[in-house]
Amino acid sequence: MKFLCVPCDSPMKLQSVGPPESGSLSVVYSCPDCGYEMAMLTNAYETQVVQSLGVRIGPERDANASGSGCPFPGMIPATGEARPGQAAEPIPVRWTAAAEARLANIPEFVRPMARTGIERFARERGALEVDEQILDAARDFFGM
Amino acid sequence: MKRYQDIAGDGGSRILEQVAAQRSRIAEGLAGVRHLVAVCSGKGGVGKSTLTLHLAGALRARGLRIAILDADFNGPSQARMAGVQGALLVPGSDKVALPRTRNGIAVFSMGSLIPESEALEFESAAHGESHTWRATREFALLGEILGSFEWGALDLLMFDLPPGAERTVQYADFLGPRASFLFVTIPSEVARGVVARSVAALSKGPNRLLGYVENMSGYYCRDCNAIKPLFVSPEPFGHAHPSTPLGMTLSMSKGQCRPSGLEIPCLGTVPFDPELARRCDRGIPLAELTETPVGRALEDVAQHLLDSLESTTSASAHASRELRQSMEPRP
Repeated sequence: MKFLCVPCDSPMKLQSVGPPESGSLSVVYSCPDCGYEMAMLTNAYETQVVQSLGVRIGPERDANASGSGCPFPGMIPATGEARPGQAAEPIPVRWTAAAEARLANIPEFVRPMARTGIERFARERGALEVDEQILDAARDFFGM
Repeated sequence: MKRYQDIAGDGGSRILEQVAAQRSRIAEGLAGVRHLVAVCSGKGGVGKSTLTLHLAGALRARGLRIAILDADFNGPSQARMAGVQGALLVPGSDKVALPRTRNGIAVFSMGSLIPESEALEFESAAHGESHTWRATREFALLGEILGSFEWGALDLLMFDLPPGAERTVQYADFLGPRASFLFVTIPSEVARGVVARSVAALSKGPNRLLGYVENMSGYYCRDCNAIKPLFVSPEPFGHAHPSTPLGMTLSMSKGQCRPSGLEIPCLGTVPFDPELARRCDRGIPLAELTETPVGRALEDVAQHLLDSLESTTSASAHASRELRQSMEPRP
């Protein structure tokens, strides 16, 4: 979707994306020539359809900063995390920055499930921190 | 006034660029894969997943490098059958390692991640409207999986597709012309009718239709070492073997398929064997069944599948170029 400032005949530029509220986004565009601003307010269906492409909606700098992925992590509870009725994990496990960086290679949708599994693997070995050694040990253990 | 095509870019949302980047990542991830084979049917319950796994096993036993992507995200069965339920996804420095079976087949299945008591769920603010976005979300997830995992150098990447003729076409569109399709049917007119629709739908596209396998082609009775009919058919049941009770062949090969009207080659028939079903439920490999009718039938089908794929090898370089072109950004 593109927006055109009709008086200037100039393509409008995306300025900001407001946080989702009840599934609606506020996407602000402005004309680089006259400065006129307009906001596209999406309904929940429109938001969901675009989000389903697995892309991020936002100004270019933000998209570059985090690459593709879900732009609305707050809207999507982490699958695999403790749910009502389930016992919470008693011992928290830390992640080193390097291990977290590797975890980011896992598709966002399945990342919480992978995190849970790796933390369980670490706990079973008496480790309270997931580092690259634990990840490598998991790869070896599962013959990967 | 400017029109859409007069404006370069999209003002900063970069959605098209991101989609193009996703496709490039998929193409890069699959660059080392020699053949993409989608096992499909259109009809559910015909044994696509079972055949996928055991054909993979037969090919792996020949030394080929094989991976399975269980593309049936909503009804995954490969994790259980391949014995990788509960396997971890472990990230490497760039990509994610794939769980492997004991005989070295790499397997991605949602069943490794989601317990069978739970359904695959995508949270959405668009309550009650999942028909508008669900398929898009699932294909985006498929793209993320193809782009994120270590497929590496493979001879075959086999896709175990979900049922549905329209879904089969969607996968063909998504995977591009490089993917070849293997159909699975059973000796039931109802099933054949649905499979025929899928064949007709895919025939309009650029994908190679390798042929079909008739699964559950009789029932293997271990007590009398004979294959008995599972479905009543007006057509003759292949060529009779004089030593086989009831005039049934113990395994029918490519040249012995009964007429199906599917207008694609028959790559073989595979009888139903309760022992095979039991092993699938428990995730036990087929290796010990190679000397049984079902084992021999799978060997035959695997050979015919390879023959069919090799006959297209000369065209694969061209297909690879087409794939790369199809992954280019679209306006």
